[in-house]
Formats: sequence, structure tokens, C-alpha cells
Amino acid sequence: MAKVDHSVPLEYSTEENDLKIFGFWVFLGAEIMLFGTLFAAYFTLVDRTGSGPTGAEMFEITPVLAETFILLTSSFTIGLAVHAMRLGSKKATLSFMGVTLALGLAFLGYEIFEFVHYVHIGAGITVSAFTSSLLTTLGTHGLHVTVGFFWGLFIMIQIAKRGINSATANKAFIFSLYWHFLDVVWIFIFSFIYLKGMM
Amino acid sequence: MAKYFPLGQVMGFVFSLILTGLALLVHFTDMSMKTGMIVLLVTAFLQAGLQFAIFMHAGETKDKWSIYSNIVYGFAMVIITILGTLLILLWDM
Repeated sequence: MAKVDHSVPLEYSTEENDLKIFGFWVFLGAEIMLFGTLFAAYFTLVDRTGSGPTGAEMFEITPVLAETFILLTSSFTIGLAVHAMRLGSKKATLSFMGVTLALGLAFLGYEIFEFVHYVHIGAGITVSAFTSSLLTTLGTHGLHVTVGFFWGLFIMIQIAKRGINSATANKAFIFSLYWHFLDVVWIFIFSFIYLKGMM
Repeated sequence: MAKYFPLGQVMGFVFSLILTGLALLVHFTDMSMKTGMIVLLVTAFLQAGLQFAIFMHAGETKDKWSIYSNIVYGFAMVIITILGTLLILLWDM
């Protein structure tokens, strides 16, 4: 049986837990670089619009603001879920996680609608170098949110069935790191793709 | 109920909304590209820092400095990659 340290929150309480959290931070470092390369391609190709539309012609502020607000709020609620977990309240943890995933789903709804709209106005992924790099970058983020949605859902089921213990707390905390990170990526997409594109 | 809404995280959320509002000035006011980019760079990196420090508890354990140097290293690599790419492909070196 692993040595349990009661002086730290449950998710850190064994050496294995501690290492899993640190390992996930290392993974996030690699994720930063993944999105960095996508941004490098996007900034290179942003003016290569060919016969397709430019960012300024495609982007609309209202849906972008809605997506931003939804994701910022979901980042806040997953933070509250971890806080509730540390207070030992299974009900509050599950509620906050549920709100987070519902917001994630709302975000995905907006994004899918946005993609359909782009295809509709003649800005599909094959139209120009600009639309290819734009939709690849947005799509990679969207795919991460989709994966996160199911990951979070399965952790909720585990917590509902097994309660908050050192294993489920560790998984939920790592999931919270992932979800916050998606918000960090979105902030850069919001600033340097949408707002810069509309400037 | 209040115990489920810790002040630090509520303030972090409010601050992130304020930063988003500041970034929006770029869209709703008439700013030059240069000023706009500076505003966006400052607000985006502050937002990111806020997420790491407040919401992600990056500094709460003994691994604090390993975690921060890992993240800073990631961002440094990204900045080198992006600037290097632009330098070669776009800025006609």
C-alpha cells in the first residue's frame, strides 16, 4: 500500500499521484508547443486568402464573445469543482463538473455552428491557405474540447460510483488542469486570430 | 454555500472578465495595429498567467519551480518557433 501523506490535498496524497500531476504538467508543456506550431503556420498563411474571404470578412464578434464567455466561465466552474472536492463534498464536485461539461457542450455547439457557417459562406477548409490553417487551428482546439468533454464525463461517473478518494481526486484534478489549459489556448485564439483578424 | 466560492477564484474570474473587456477595446476603439498588438499581448499573457497561478494551482507544491520552468520553457520554444517562422517565411530575411 502506498504511503499516504495527509498534509496535502487528496489528489497529491501518494507519490504516484504526485508524479502523475507533475507528468501531466510536462504533457501540457508539449501541448503549448503543439499549438505554437499551429499559430506559426497561421501567422505565416493569414494573408494568403487566394480567392476566398479574409478573416475580417468571416469573423463576427457576437459568437466569438459568446464562445469566450462560455469557456472562461467553464474554467471558473472546474476550478470550483476542485475546491469543492478538497472540501470533500461529492455533490458539489459533481454539480460544478456538470456545469463545466454543459458549458463545454454549449461551446462546441457554437463552434460547430460557426464551422457550418464558414462552409456556407464559401470558406471551407480547402478554399485557401488561410482557411486551411484557420480551421486546422480552431479544429485542433475544438477536438481537445470534445475529448475533454468525454474524459470529464467518465470521471464524473467514477466519482458518482466510487466517491472522492485518492484515485478519483487525482483524475479530477488532472482533468481540471487540462480544462484550464484549453481556456489558455482559447485566450490566444481569441486575441490573435479573432480580435487581430477584425482589427 | 459561500464556502464553495473561494474569494481568490471569484476574484480570478472577475479579473479574467476585465482582461477580456480590455482586449475588446482593440475591436471597439480605433487603435493602430501596433498599439492593438501590444494590448493583446499584455492581456493574453496576463490571462494565461492568471489561469496557471490561480486556477491551476501551479505554485502550491514543492514542484512549483519545475512546473513553472516547464511552462516558461514551453512558451519560450513557442516564441522562438513563431518568430523564427515569420522571420524566414514572411519578413523576407
